[in-house]
Amino acid sequence: MSAGATLRLRRGTGRGAGTPPPRSTAARRKVLGLDKDGWFLLLPALIPVLVLSVGPLLYGIALAFTDAQSGVTHATSFNGIANFKDLRLDSLFWQSFRIGLLWAVCVTVLQFLMSLGLALLLNQNLRLRWLARTLALVPWAMPEVVVGIMWRLVYNPDAGILNNTLHHLHLTDGTTDWLSSLSLALPAVIVVGVWAGMPQTTVVLLAGLQNVPLELHEAASLDGAGLWRRFTTVTWPTLKPVVLSITALNFIWNFNSFGLVYVLTSGGPGGKTELPMLFAYDEAFRYGQFGYAAAMGLVMVAVIAVLLAVFLRNRLKEDES
Amino acid sequence: MRRRTFLTGAAATAAVAGSGSLLSACGSSAGSGVPRLDFLSLAWQTESVKANKALVAQWNQRHPEVQVRYVQGSWDDVHDQLLTSFEGGAAPDIIHDEGIDLTDFGFGGYLADLTDLLPAGLKSRIPQATWDTARFNGGVYGVPFLQEPRVLIANRTLLVKAGVRLPDDTHPWTWQEFEDICRELSHHGGGSAERYGTAWPMSSPVSVTLNLSLTTGGRILYKDEGSGHTEVRFGTADSAFAEMVRRQVRTDRSAPSSALALGGGDVLPGFFAGRYAMLPLDFSYRQQIQQQAPKNFDWVTLPLPVGTHAPDGGRAQGVSPQTLSVAKSCKHQQAAVEFIDFMTQTPHLVQLAQGDWMPPTGTAALRDPSLTTTKLGWSTGMALASHLTASPALGSRGYPEWSDKIATPALQQYYSGAIGLDSLRGKLVRDGNRVFERYRE
Amino acid sequence: MSATDAAGVTAAPAPPASAGAGRRKARRRAGRAGQYLALLCYVVFLAFPLLWLVSTAFKSPQELGSVHPTWLPKHPTLDNFRTAFDEQPLLHAALNSLMVAGISAVVSVAIAVPAAYVMVRFRSLVSRAGTGWILVSQMFPLVLIIIPLFMVLKNLHLVDSRLGLGLVYVVWTLPFALWMLQGYVKAVPVSLEEAAAIDGCSRARTLRSVVLPLLTPGLVATLMFSFVTAWNEFFFGLVLLKSPEKQTMSVILTHFLGAEGAADLGPLAAASVLATLPSLLFFALLQRRLVGGMMTGAVKG
Repeated sequence: MSAGATLRLRRGTGRGAGTPPPRSTAARRKVLGLDKDGWFLLLPALIPVLVLSVGPLLYGIALAFTDAQSGVTHATSFNGIANFKDLRLDSLFWQSFRIGLLWAVCVTVLQFLMSLGLALLLNQNLRLRWLARTLALVPWAMPEVVVGIMWRLVYNPDAGILNNTLHHLHLTDGTTDWLSSLSLALPAVIVVGVWAGMPQTTVVLLAGLQNVPLELHEAASLDGAGLWRRFTTVTWPTLKPVVLSITALNFIWNFNSFGLVYVLTSGGPGGKTELPMLFAYDEAFRYGQFGYAAAMGLVMVAVIAVLLAVFLRNRLKEDES
Repeated sequence: MRRRTFLTGAAATAAVAGSGSLLSACGSSAGSGVPRLDFLSLAWQTESVKANKALVAQWNQRHPEVQVRYVQGSWDDVHDQLLTSFEGGAAPDIIHDEGIDLTDFGFGGYLADLTDLLPAGLKSRIPQATWDTARFNGGVYGVPFLQEPRVLIANRTLLVKAGVRLPDDTHPWTWQEFEDICRELSHHGGGSAERYGTAWPMSSPVSVTLNLSLTTGGRILYKDEGSGHTEVRFGTADSAFAEMVRRQVRTDRSAPSSALALGGGDVLPGFFAGRYAMLPLDFSYRQQIQQQAPKNFDWVTLPLPVGTHAPDGGRAQGVSPQTLSVAKSCKHQQAAVEFIDFMTQTPHLVQLAQGDWMPPTGTAALRDPSLTTTKLGWSTGMALASHLTASPALGSRGYPEWSDKIATPALQQYYSGAIGLDSLRGKLVRDGNRVFERYRE
Repeated sequence: MSATDAAGVTAAPAPPASAGAGRRKARRRAGRAGQYLALLCYVVFLAFPLLWLVSTAFKSPQELGSVHPTWLPKHPTLDNFRTAFDEQPLLHAALNSLMVAGISAVVSVAIAVPAAYVMVRFRSLVSRAGTGWILVSQMFPLVLIIIPLFMVLKNLHLVDSRLGLGLVYVVWTLPFALWMLQGYVKAVPVSLEEAAAIDGCSRARTLRSVVLPLLTPGLVATLMFSFVTAWNEFFFGLVLLKSPEKQTMSVILTHFLGAEGAADLGPLAAASVLATLPSLLFFALLQRRLVGGMMTGAVKG
C-alpha cells in the first residue's frame, strides 16, 4: 500500500470525528442530542461529576457575588459585583497576575519543547529504553511534599549540590543565592516547574506518537526526506491535536499551581514569585475572605478562558462543525 | 442570609440531607457509648510524639468514661486542615496549635471560650503574663503550654580563638557588642575561606522582626486595648532591630544575604563548617544541632543580646506559644478541658517540654531541676523564658494579611538592600494601616 | 508534499551505491551516539533527585549536616528507615494509598472511556457542556471547592471514608482522562465502527471490541496519570480522612515536617523512597504498553 493512499485514508477517516455510525434500527428518540445508548455510556461519569464537581463548582462561583468570610460570627449576604470592583483596584493582585502569566507561559513552552525531544528519543528503538522510560518519570513518582524539600536542598547556598557542583566545575565561586536573589528566584522556580511537569507531557506525547503511521515515515525516509522534513510533514500533523490538548491543559495547570513554589519561596523574595493562585489561596485560607477569593478565581478563569479560546480556536471549531 | 444556612443549602442540593452532627467525630462514641474525643497533636520530634502518646494512653487508662484518640497533625498544614474541618462542621475536639493561629479561629466562633471552664488549679499553674498570649476578643481561647525564646548558638572554638568574652544569663551582650564581635569574627578572603560572624535565617522575616523589636523597646504593632484595633508604627525603637540586621548584611558584611531566605535548619551545615560563628535560632534547634553536629564540634548556647534603654533590661522577647484549645463544636467541652488540665500537670509539662526541647509555661515546671540543668544549654533558655511576653502579633485581626502582603515583601526588600528605611516605613505604616483598617467593624 | 508525490516510486527501493551506504551508515552511527547522549542528559536531569533522595535516606545526621554533601553516603546506615517505621505506620498507609489510588484509577478510566467516546461521536449539547466543564473545573481555584465538597461528602456520610476519598479522586482525574481520551478516540477511524455497526453490534459492543483495543497507549497514559495523581495527592487526603488508621502515604509524609520548613530529613527521605517506589514499579510494568503499533496495523487493513 502506498504512502499516499495511507495518508488519504487517514485524512478521510481519522479526522472525520462527529459522524455517528449509521444504526441498523430506525432513528432513535434523542434527549439533548443523545440517544439511549449515548446516555447509557455517559451516565457512569455524569453522576459523580454532577454531585462532586459541578455542585461544588457552582457554589464556588456563587461565592464570588457574596461577602462570605470564614467563621460563624459573620452573616453572609449577596453584594453583587462589589468584589470585582475592589479587585479592579487591587494592584498587588494584578502584579501577581503578571508574574503568573510569565511563569505559566515560560513553564508551558519549555515543558513542551523538552518533553517533545524526550518523547521522540524514547520512541526510538534504543537499548535500555525501558529503563530510560521509567527513570524519565521520576519527577512524577515523587510526592510533591518531597519534591519541594529536595529542590530546596539542591538550591541551598551553602550545602546545596548545585553550588557545590558549579564550584567544582569552576563555573562559579559556589556562593550563588538562588532562591533569595530578587532576579534569580523566578528563573530558579521555573526550572523546578518544568522539571516537575515533564513526565506527564512526555507520556502523553509518547502515546500520541504511536498514532503516527510508520509506513509514512518509511516512505518519506526512502524518498530521501531529512529528519526535520519527516518531522514536519509526517509526525507533526498527526501529533498536533494531542499537542494542542496537552499544552492547553499544561497552561491551565501551571497557571493554577502554587504548591511547589510555596514550599520553595513562599512567594518571596519581595513578592517576586507570588503567583496569583498563591494569592487567591492566601485570601481564602489565611485571611478567610471566601467571597473575594472566589472573585479572583472567576477573573482568572475568564482570562485563561480567553487565552485558551484563541489558542484552541481550531480544535473548538472542529468540535462545532 | 446567615452563612450556615447558605452553606447547608448548597450542600443539600446534591446530597441526602443528613444531620450535620451524625458524622462529626466530636462527641462520637468509641464503640460502647463512651464519648470519644479526638486530640489533634502537632508533636513531631520523636521524643515529643512518644511523650504525647504515652500521656494519652495514661489518660485513657485512668478515665474509662471519656476516651481520647491521638490524631497526628503537622505544623506544615494544620491551618488549612482546621479551617476546612471547622467550616465543614467536623473538627477535632482538642486542638494543638500556636497562639497567632488562634486569632481568626477565635474571632470566627470556632473555638470555645475557656474562661469559665478552666479549673482553678490550671489557672494558677501558668503565670498571668502567659495567659495574655491566648486572651483576646474578651475570652481565653487556648491554654499556652510550651514557649520558646530565641538564643544565640555559637561555635565556641571560634569565639575562644578570637578572645571574646562569653556572655552568661546575668551579663548578656548588648546588640552593639554583638555587632562588634560579629564584625571581628568575619573575614572575606574569597572562596570557601569566607566567614561571617552570624547569619540571619529569615524564612519568616515578619515574626522574627516583630518579636525581637521588643528587645529594643519597640513593638511595630500597637493594639488599642479598648477597641482591639491594631495600628502600625515604625519609630526609632521599632526599627532599631531591623536597622541592625540590615547593617550587618549590607554595611558590615558580617551576615550573608544568602541566608535571608533560609530556614533555621538550612544554615546549620554552614555553621558546622565554621562559615558562620554564631546563629540566632529558636531554642529547640538545639535538638537538631546535637544530632547533626560533627563529633568534635564545640557549640554553646548563649543568651540573646539585649537592647539598651529598653524595658526589662532589653531582655523581653515576643513569643507565640504552643497552645491547647477546645473546638466550640465539641459536645464534651468540660471533659476536653479536664484532659488539657491533665496534659498540663507539672510533671507532664516537664515531659512535654523535654520532648520538644523548649521551655514549658507552668511556673513550677519552669523550676524543674531536669530542665534547669546547664547541660545542652537548657538553663540559658529557661532563664530567658521568664522574660517572654506576648508577641505583638497575637490577637491582632488582619495580621496574616498585613504580614503576607505588606510586611514580608517590604522587609525582604529592605534586608536585601533594594529599598531604604524611609521606603520601608512608608510601606509598613501607610499601606499596613490600610490593611488593618479593613478589619475594623 | 514530497512524501505523497514520491509514493509510487519508492515502493521497491533499489540498493543504493556502496560508497554512499558507508557514509550514510557512519552518519547514522554518529546520530545514534548523539541520541544516547541526549537521552542520558535527560535522564540525569529528571532522575537525579531520586538518587539524591536514596542517598539521603542512608545518611547519618552528621552527614546530612555536612557542607560538602557527597552522592554516596560515607557511612551508610539503616537508622532512618528504622526510625521512619517506628514512628509512622508506613506499611499501613502504603496499603491505604494503594487501595485508594488503584481503585480510583481503574474506575476513572472505566467511566471515562465510554464518556469520551460519546463526547466525540455525538454532536450534542452534552458534549459541549462536557468540554466546558473540563476546562472550568481545571481552572477554578481548588481552595474554593474544597469546603463545599467537604459538606457534600459529609451529607453522603463519606467523610473519613476511603471510599469517599476514592470517589473524589475519580472525579478529580476525570477531566484529564476525558480530555486526553477524546483525542485518542478521534484518531480511531469511523469506518471501522461502521463495519461493526452493520454487523449488528450495539454501541457498547462496538466500543469494547473495536475502539478499545485501538486506544491502548492512550489508556495506559491515562491510567498512569490517574494512579499517580491519586497516589501523590495530599490535600484531599488530609482534610477528608481523620482516623489515623485510614491516612494515606502522602499525608503520613508530612508528619516528618515541623514548623517553618523544618524537616526530619533522614526519616523523611527514607519514607519518601518507599512512597516513590510503587509508582516507579508501576511505570516500569506499564511502559511497554505505551508503544502501540496497533493503530498503524488497523489502518493498513
